[in-house]
Amino acid sequence: MKLRFWGVRGSIAYPGPNTVEFGGNTPCLELRFSEKNRLIIIDAGTGIHPLGNRLVSEDIKDGPIAAEIFITHTHWDHIIGFPFFRPIYIPGTKLNVYGPITFEDDSLEKIIGDLLRYRYFPVLHGELRANIKYFQLGECKMDLGDGIILKTKYLNHPLLCLGYRFEFDGKVLCTAYDTEPFKNIFSTDEKAPDFDPVVRAEGEEAARKENEKLLDFYRDADILIHDCQYTREEYISSKIGWGHSFFEHAIDSAHAANVKKVVLFHHDPLRTDKELMALEKYCRELVNNRWDLKIVVAKEGMEIEL
Amino acid sequence: MEYHHRLTILEHYIRELPPFPSTIDKVMEICAESNTSPIDLTKVISLDPVLTGKIMQLVNSAYFGLSREIISLVRAVIMLGMNTVKNLVLGATVLNTFGKRQNFRALNMDMFWEHSLGVGVIAKLIAKKRNIDKRLLEGYFIAGLLHDIGKIPLNSKFSNEYMNILDIPGKKPQPLFISEKRLLGVDHTHVGNLIAKKWKLGEEISDAITFHHAPETYQGFQNDILFTVILSDYYANSAQIGFSGNHHMENVWPEALQYLADNADFSFYDIDAFNGEVEQEIEKAQIFLKVAG
Repeated sequence: MKLRFWGVRGSIAYPGPNTVEFGGNTPCLELRFSEKNRLIIIDAGTGIHPLGNRLVSEDIKDGPIAAEIFITHTHWDHIIGFPFFRPIYIPGTKLNVYGPITFEDDSLEKIIGDLLRYRYFPVLHGELRANIKYFQLGECKMDLGDGIILKTKYLNHPLLCLGYRFEFDGKVLCTAYDTEPFKNIFSTDEKAPDFDPVVRAEGEEAARKENEKLLDFYRDADILIHDCQYTREEYISSKIGWGHSFFEHAIDSAHAANVKKVVLFHHDPLRTDKELMALEKYCRELVNNRWDLKIVVAKEGMEIEL
Repeated sequence: MEYHHRLTILEHYIRELPPFPSTIDKVMEICAESNTSPIDLTKVISLDPVLTGKIMQLVNSAYFGLSREIISLVRAVIMLGMNTVKNLVLGATVLNTFGKRQNFRALNMDMFWEHSLGVGVIAKLIAKKRNIDKRLLEGYFIAGLLHDIGKIPLNSKFSNEYMNILDIPGKKPQPLFISEKRLLGVDHTHVGNLIAKKWKLGEEISDAITFHHAPETYQGFQNDILFTVILSDYYANSAQIGFSGNHHMENVWPEALQYLADNADFSFYDIDAFNGEVEQEIEKAQIFLKVAG
């Protein structure tokens, strides 16, 4: 498996002098299984635009493009690049698009397809030349063929959002974005008027269990790509419930699940290159050879061989 | 009208089953607050069979039946997050403008709601009395709350026929589900089963909905919840807690009663002691729904 990061920024694309080093495109990962001639793309943020360009300039000479796109969730930063993915305009392209649905019960095809409406875009989804099929996923285990096994898990985000775990040839890659720790949101204050001990116990048990299930999902992964939008201070002071994690939580989770390498991902748009470099240093110092865990902050263009 | 045609109409209606008019104002109020209290959110959902079912649908579809436990609303809110639950509830409420009182022409909506809630509360009290695991109590409540859910589509889509059906028992004493079957070709347990399938409700709740008038034919493994709901339904009817159209309640299947008594130190007379508690719960719910919080 070979992994390449085409977009690592969260929320909104953020080009500019402060994001030159780590990049400003929103999430898109390319996962290659070269000996099986398989291409998997995770998310269609703005990073999918340069990926599409490369596929068109380099891959198409070897035959039509075939890829599977796994959407973690349908917030804009994870799908907005889709209309700009050039292969969708090329006859012969075959795409299978997978992703979770929202509470509204609209199909994935409708949610993604709605990006291509005249009010937003000059081409309609129905006019695309590629052969595109949509598949809705929940929590599941799937055999993708060629020895590639997929497992999915719901994360903790304001919209249903899936983590993806790919297992191939004894190696494991796991994604955990966008997410924050599950917590009991019911009252724990015994003096509060709505306090109910049974509810508190149930709430705490539910949060504990969900966090445990997440660790099981990451267990023994070679690479865990984890949300790190906030610093701990930002998270605690004003971002609880926004659906994103902080650096220390990502590292603790990776360690607890016996992960080999954690890639810190989904950077806040306002996080500067300088800050990210300092945070990477800080995180490595936190671990400081105590744990056998490698830490890297995701960068656009970065490649990792598994 | 043909049976199959009726079924098509019902299936179509079930897709967009509207929540209860009595809970809508409170739902809107709670969901409009930017800092909604999670306990208020779960409370307002638990007072509406349709909303409860829809949340269960989401949790069950999200989890693809991986977990066999009955998932509580508290757990659903933690797993799915306040936003998803709030939006789902709001979506179900706003999108369905036909959830109005005139859709309850045959059955009295407030009385029906009271009956459903009453059966839920009694089922939970019986389970508690029988020392059922605390974590399972909410499942008993939900099964009781939803047991008659199949009456909503019948009442809304075939209200003229349903008015006739409700009249019949006065002339010839027979349980409501038999009259439904005779006049419409389909009864509320069958419609309830369609809803349970659509919402992917767990076996525990689904079987209580489907078999609460036919326990003697039941071959599944959810006897405990099913028999509890049957007894609760009987009691709610005889104590006249709300009214769901059944003038001639059939007796509780003796084997069900025997089962409940055998599996815990429990007798039918224990329920009499619940009466005050049930009334109190219903009153609390009414205050919560009708008085601005």
